[in-house]
Amino acid sequence: MAYTPQYYPGNTSVGANRRKHMSGNLEKLRDIPEADVVAIMGHRAPGADYPSTHPPLKEMGEPDCPIRQLVEPTPGAAAGDRVRYSQFTDSMYFAPSIPYWRSYWAAINCRGADPGTLSGRQIIEARERDIEAYTKKLMDSEMTDVSRCSMRGCTVHGHSLRLEENGMMFDMLARTEMGADGNVYYVKNQVGIPLDKKINVGKPMSEEELKKRTTIFRYDNISFGGKVGARKFDEALEALHHMWELRTKWGFRPE
Amino acid sequence: MVTIKSDTDSEPVQVEIFPSRFLSPETTQKLLNEIYKSGGIVRMMIQGPNLPRTVTYGPGKGLPIEEHRNLLVEVGGEVLELRVKVGRIRLELEGEEFLPGIQAACERALPFGFQIKRGKFFREISTISDYAKYGKDADKRILGLVDPRAKKESALAILSEKDSDEKEER
Repeated sequence: MAYTPQYYPGNTSVGANRRKHMSGNLEKLRDIPEADVVAIMGHRAPGADYPSTHPPLKEMGEPDCPIRQLVEPTPGAAAGDRVRYSQFTDSMYFAPSIPYWRSYWAAINCRGADPGTLSGRQIIEARERDIEAYTKKLMDSEMTDVSRCSMRGCTVHGHSLRLEENGMMFDMLARTEMGADGNVYYVKNQVGIPLDKKINVGKPMSEEELKKRTTIFRYDNISFGGKVGARKFDEALEALHHMWELRTKWGFRPE
Repeated sequence: MVTIKSDTDSEPVQVEIFPSRFLSPETTQKLLNEIYKSGGIVRMMIQGPNLPRTVTYGPGKGLPIEEHRNLLVEVGGEVLELRVKVGRIRLELEGEEFLPGIQAACERALPFGFQIKRGKFFREISTISDYAKYGKDADKRILGLVDPRAKKESALAILSEKDSDEKEER
């Protein structure tokens, strides 16, 4: 029988979404042109050559190494690209993905990527053409909502702040804006440098849709536990409490 | 605005208005004017995340952020430049009788939910920073209105000298 990985337990929609994010079996909601993704990332001009840090691997004459023979290099590594990054901030107001699940997604589904999880933002580093492909996947998929997630290379805060009146996550550098047509536009790249043209990334999800797609447990949607809006503990929470109990007791009495 | 003091010697009360969303400059102006019209305000402070004029960090450091320039609001006939995204408003009122007016002002001006909390939000005792900034005989109503590092001239507005009872911090 073929093995099916079991990524995350639980019967709630949050549990199901977490499984989807980890497995990479994601719904594609929009199609942002590759050139636009590259422009928002801001590492190279769209259409420009990829700068490299070393010659292509084929020309380098690699040492005789069983691991190198076993592992096929990613396109970026094979071409000798620079390592570049994309970083996203997700609002705690029902953003579809959150830093840990972005990292799980990257670690499980992206080859040659180095995900970094922080409290309100998440960075992925990889070779340039690889990170561009991964970022496009992220921006096109249900892991991103254009009003509650945004690409922010610096001055990232917004995750735990209240939303703006129009439902957008607050951005100190005003990188994104809500257009009169209801679409969200990137007017600056991820580090706040103005773009040559506004980039339309589509319409934001409705509040109901966000609550359906989110991977965040919240008392006003699907609670994790506790007293407010409590639900019956599912397997994940039982397991967590079990781990916590054993760890705490072990910590106090190591015998 | 001239604030008429009530006949009863009621104690000043301090409240904090906490909207469920950050306010745009238009809503801020509307709300501040509604609050201003409801009367009884001794002092008022608006607070929220900073809106920098330039990119402060990273490869774009120093680039202007045009969206944050000239965010003007007009309150009580005075034009103020917003330097924060308004997230909370703290008020000192002359007395409890002005509270319903504040509640009604918020209901008129805010298209979304808000909380009004009563508490103690402004300090009464001068700190060393206050002493260095305002001197020995500082007006106690100024205390706690402005960030210690902010310049008083640009962060504080006196809206009515007549009763010397209207102050606003940005």
